[in-house]
Order: sequence, then C-alpha cells, then structure tokens
Amino acid sequence: MEDKKNILIKQARIVDPYLDRDLVSDLFISRGKIEKISGHIEKRDNTEVIEGKQLVVCPGFIDMHVHLRDPGDEMEEDIASGIKAALAGGFTAIACMPNTRPPIDNPYLIDYIKDKAKIHDFSLLPVAAMTKGLKGKQITEMGLLAEHGAVAFSDDGYCVQDSRNMYEIMRYSRQINSLLILHEEDNQFSEGGLVHEGYYSNKFGLEGISPLGEELIIARDIMLAEKTGARIHITHLSSAKSVQLIREAKKNGINISCDVTPHHLYFNHSCLDKLDTNLKVKPPIRDEQDQKALIEGIKDGTIDAVASDHAPHLLEEKNTTLRDAAFGAIGMETSFKASFSKLCIQEKMNLVDLLKLFTLGPAQILKISPPTVKEKQIANLVILDIKSKNKVMPEFISKSSNCPFMGQNLTGQVLYTINNGKLCYKRE
Amino acid sequence: MLAGSSLLRIDDLEPGDVEQILHNTDSFVEVLERKVKKVPALRGKTVANIFFEPSTRTKNSFEIAAKRLSADTINFSSSTSSLKKGESITDTINTIIAMKVNLLVIRHGHSGVLNFLSDRIDLPIINAGDGKNQHPTQALLDLYTIRQKFSQVEGLKVGIVGDYLNSRVARSNVDLFQKMGMEVTVVAPSMFLPGDIKVTKARVAGSIDDIIHKVDVLYMLRMQLERQDRKFYPSIREYNRFLSLNSKRMTAMKKNSMVMHPGPVNRGIEISEELMERITTDKQLANKVFIQKQVTHGVAVRMALLYLILS
Repeated sequence: MEDKKNILIKQARIVDPYLDRDLVSDLFISRGKIEKISGHIEKRDNTEVIEGKQLVVCPGFIDMHVHLRDPGDEMEEDIASGIKAALAGGFTAIACMPNTRPPIDNPYLIDYIKDKAKIHDFSLLPVAAMTKGLKGKQITEMGLLAEHGAVAFSDDGYCVQDSRNMYEIMRYSRQINSLLILHEEDNQFSEGGLVHEGYYSNKFGLEGISPLGEELIIARDIMLAEKTGARIHITHLSSAKSVQLIREAKKNGINISCDVTPHHLYFNHSCLDKLDTNLKVKPPIRDEQDQKALIEGIKDGTIDAVASDHAPHLLEEKNTTLRDAAFGAIGMETSFKASFSKLCIQEKMNLVDLLKLFTLGPAQILKISPPTVKEKQIANLVILDIKSKNKVMPEFISKSSNCPFMGQNLTGQVLYTINNGKLCYKRE
Repeated sequence: MLAGSSLLRIDDLEPGDVEQILHNTDSFVEVLERKVKKVPALRGKTVANIFFEPSTRTKNSFEIAAKRLSADTINFSSSTSSLKKGESITDTINTIIAMKVNLLVIRHGHSGVLNFLSDRIDLPIINAGDGKNQHPTQALLDLYTIRQKFSQVEGLKVGIVGDYLNSRVARSNVDLFQKMGMEVTVVAPSMFLPGDIKVTKARVAGSIDDIIHKVDVLYMLRMQLERQDRKFYPSIREYNRFLSLNSKRMTAMKKNSMVMHPGPVNRGIEISEELMERITTDKQLANKVFIQKQVTHGVAVRMALLYLILS
C-alpha cells in the first residue's frame, strides 16, 4: 500500500464507458482525486509515475456478487483478504452476499461488515438476507437493514420456494425501494444434483441438475415482479431459456436485470471431462447452446453485468470426489481476464462494451454512482495490460485457490488498482 | 331516515344520516354526564346482543347503551350456544327473534355474514363487527370524537396507521372519513395492505414519519395478530421503527392534533410503553390522546343509533 503520493500515468489509453470516452492521454492523481487529464502533464515532486504506453486505464470494477465468508468461515476468506483479492482483480467496489455464519439477517451484522471495510478504506457493499436465517420463511427486517446500509437483499445460495412468501418479499422491497438479487433454483429439480443434466452427467453417471429448475423460478419471479413492481436482479444465469425469459421480460417493461459469471461464459459442460471439482458450481456449467445463448445475451444487452460469484472453499472441500465436493469457485482475480479472453479475443467484442459489464452495468443495478475517469472524481481506477498472455497459476491473493481457470492461458492482466487515489495493488 | 333500518356498513348511511346520529349523540353525551344516567326512551323494547366472537368493549358498550335507554337486553355468545351442537347461524338468530326482540346487535368473525343474514331476517340489525369487513359504530364514535375536537371535519388530514388489511375499523373509518370530506392517508407496510393498494381508496404511505407532522388526526390501528392468516411482518422492532407512536414522534405532531386508537392498545407495539406511561402523568400529552374519550362516546353514539332505529 502506498500513501499520500501523487500518481502520474503517462500516455495511457483511457477508456470510460460512462462518458463513452476512449483516448490516449496523461492522467494526474493528487489527494485521492483525478486532478487532471491532459495530453501532457509535467511530473511533480512526490509522484509515482506509471508508464502507460500500451496500457488501458479504466474505472475501477464493481463485482456485485462475492462471498467473503466473514463472519463464520474466515479460514476460506475474510473481509481483509477478500478486499485484497478484489483489488488484485481490479475491483474497487464489491457487494458481499449474506450467506455467512451467522447469515447477514440482522442490522448489527451490516454494521460489522461496514466497520471492517472502513479499516481498509474500501467500498464494500453489504447485501442482507431476504429471509431470517436464509430459511425462506420469515421476512427479515428489510427496512432496518436498508437503513443500516444493505444495498440489496438476497437469499443467495438458496431460493425462496414459497411463492406467496416471495410475493410478499417483493411487495415489501418495492415499498422500501430496495433491490432483490435472486438465486433461482427449484429444489425439486436440483436436490442431489451435481452437474448439468446432459451428455456428461449421463456419461459419468452423475446426478444431473436440470435447467428447468432455474427457468421455472425465473418465470415465477418475472410474474411476481410484474404484479408487484419490484426491482429484481437475477444472478448467475446459466441457461438459454433463462436468457430468453429475461429478454422478453425486459421488452415487457419488467424492472429486471441480470448477471452472468465468467466461468459460465468461458466453459461449457465439456469441461467436465476432467471431473475437476473446481468446476462444480451452482448453477452448473451447462451445454454449448446455453453458453452460446449467454454470450448472445451479453452482446444484445440482455445481460447487464459480469459478476464473479467468488466462492472460496478450503482445499479439503474440493480435494475430493465430485459428489462430496462443495459447490463454488473463486473468481475475483480471474474475472476480467477470463471474460476478456472469451468475449473480446474469441468473440471479437468491443472492449468498451466489456468494461460496461464491469462498471456501469453493476453500478446502475445497485444504484451507486457510476465509476468514471473524470477530473475532480475520486480516483478509483484499474490499469490493464490487454496484450499480456498469461497462464493461470495456483497463486492467489484470496485465502482459497479453488479456481476453475487453473492452467488456462488467458489474455489480459490487471497491473495496478488505484482505490480512493491510492495505489492499492501493483502486479509484481 | 334511520327508523326501522339496519346498519351493516358505512355505505348504508347518507351524510344526512350521519349528521342525525351525531346530533343525537350530543344529547346522550349530556345524559351520560347526569347523576341519573338513564332515560325512558326505549322502555319495553328488547335488544339482543349476539356475539359469535369474543368481545368485551363493544359488547359492554352496546349493553350499557341499551340499558341507559331503559331497553331490556339479552346476551348471546357462541361459546355458550347451541352452535356447538351444529345449529346453523340462521336457526340461532331465528330462535332469538322468536323471543320477540326488537333489534339485533351482531358480531361475527366472518366478513359479510350480516348481508347474508339481513336477506333472511326481517328485523333491524346493527353490525358490531364482521370479520375484517366493517365496524360502522366504531367509525361513528371516532367521527364524533374528532368532531368534538375540531367542530369542522371537512378538510382535516387523517393518518390511519398499522394493519389496514385485517382491520374492519380501518375500512369503516376510511369510508366514513372520506364521506365527510377528510383527507385520509393509510400508513402501512405492504403486508398490511391489499395486493392492489389502489382499492384502499386512500393515499398510502410506508412510514409514520412521512405523515406525522402533517396530520390533524393520528389514528393508530390495533395490530390484528389474531386475524393474520400468515405472519409476514418481520418483527416488532421493525414495527417500532416505522409504525409505532412514541414520545419523539408525538412531539413532531402539529400543535392542535389528536391521537386515537380503537383499543385495547398493544403497549410497545402501536404505542410505546413509555408514551402510554407519560400520558398518565403529563397533562399536555394526555390532552392530545382521546382513547378514553372514544370509549365514552362509543356508549353515546350507540344510544343515539338504538334510539333512532327503534323509537
């Protein structure tokens, strides 16, 4: 961590999806803010100079779906290590999910998270539970939780099975003007399932998880949102039909948004051939058609954000059979490069459009001020090398290393992250 | 004209009827102030109080109202009735009618049951509360209480706070207050409102703080724990934060405003324990709170109704 130093970035490509700006320029940061953006800026005393040629400077990323395991499972991750991992991935704001132990269903736990984040001067956005103990039954004190600083509500990891309850949650969230982040899963279709129900689940005799379980609940929640006017966000989409349902809902004026994980974009179920437990995630990585539909959903604007669903696990929780392994994968440190490799390199997507999914998209969903590279703004920036080719090695800043991209050759690298004007991450 | 008619819901009343009831109530309030609180107006008449649901306040209020008018009363409550033996409501009512009574005061747990009965019975009925539907005499006594304070009720701003969905008091009051030209805002969380909130006929707000400094009348509803099919509301703590009346909020009210509650108050829910205690000792506060007055006016209003229907 470097402090109180000015930062001068020389001749970098500045890409700002919010201002729709893409130019080569110098950029000077002083006292936490972007003081100047101009063709040529002289170096001053006490200034760290970053040679920006061939590099991209863009607004700090926002990851709207992260599990920090704090409180309760700090061996896997805690708020401090999670923030460090976020910075290494280029994130200057993350939303942490409430399925901790105890779950974040009480205002004092929101205070706990915010206090811990304050130490690190980092924008940690707590998401609170929709139901007490994430049990899908009793609605939480959403009004109080929102007052304490919950940016949204979610029972992520679980799904409220009781439709009437979901209806009341939506009505209340609408009344207090809060966002619901929904993990969509009909337990009747997923119970006991390990991987996507398809060719590979059949090949290996693994219990399958049908996409129907996700699609039915999405259809239900779209209807409930239409009736209640609630603002809903469907997280970690996995199937073609889910994308289609949301596309239609958006056309019909429903207040709905959605995100996808880098691993659902990068892989399809053929990756199961290696039976790698790091690819055991929920919802499961589905077939080629689903993968294609997710990419299509990104391209046509149906999908609003990329979110890592960073889910750290101990080695012993993954170093076992597929059946016994925990669901989930870490993702913050590889989120950008995996998405960039898939979408910009393979699918020829424009960099600005990709960056929108990491900045403007999540900011608009969470209703926080959009990150931007503008004079007088707090300097939350990422400096990227989009030419760099690198193999993902088992070295992570996160406490856990259950990374599905291990061994993959990816393009793009976060070199520096500037958080509140300070150089908080520098790739060694 | 109210003579010989029933009162099942507020919609049964024309503004002229309401005026007539309130005007007569004035006289009976005066009667209740006398040493001998009895007039011979309904001597020889019999009023049957038929309560298919537990009630203390309303039942006593009706009974005392009838007795103050020198009417005879019979009391029936379902826990001691033949209903347990499988007798139908209509049979029960007809048996009571066969005893040559003149008027039925009925309370029942099912919304709309009185419409069903009134189609089958040729005798005036006063609704003493049916399910979540209506409680017209409560609305009339509330209106009377407001009018005693403000004289002119038209244009007054009223906030009705709490469990609207399950409250017959709220429904009757919204109907009557709007009929009399008051501006009503219902303050309730979504789970205490109907699915389509447009059907509430009133404005809707989510927090008592949205209206506390604007209203002339703050009407705190009773939390209807017994009537909630499923408990969707998160907690008492959440209720306290967004819906309860406490000293701090009371201070934010307009100088010349009033607080009402149909009773009995769930202390610590609708009104904080600390405020309830302060009301007993602080005269200035007590002057704002009309809960006891409502009870007194309840007897007078019911006397007026019985008198107008039976005389």
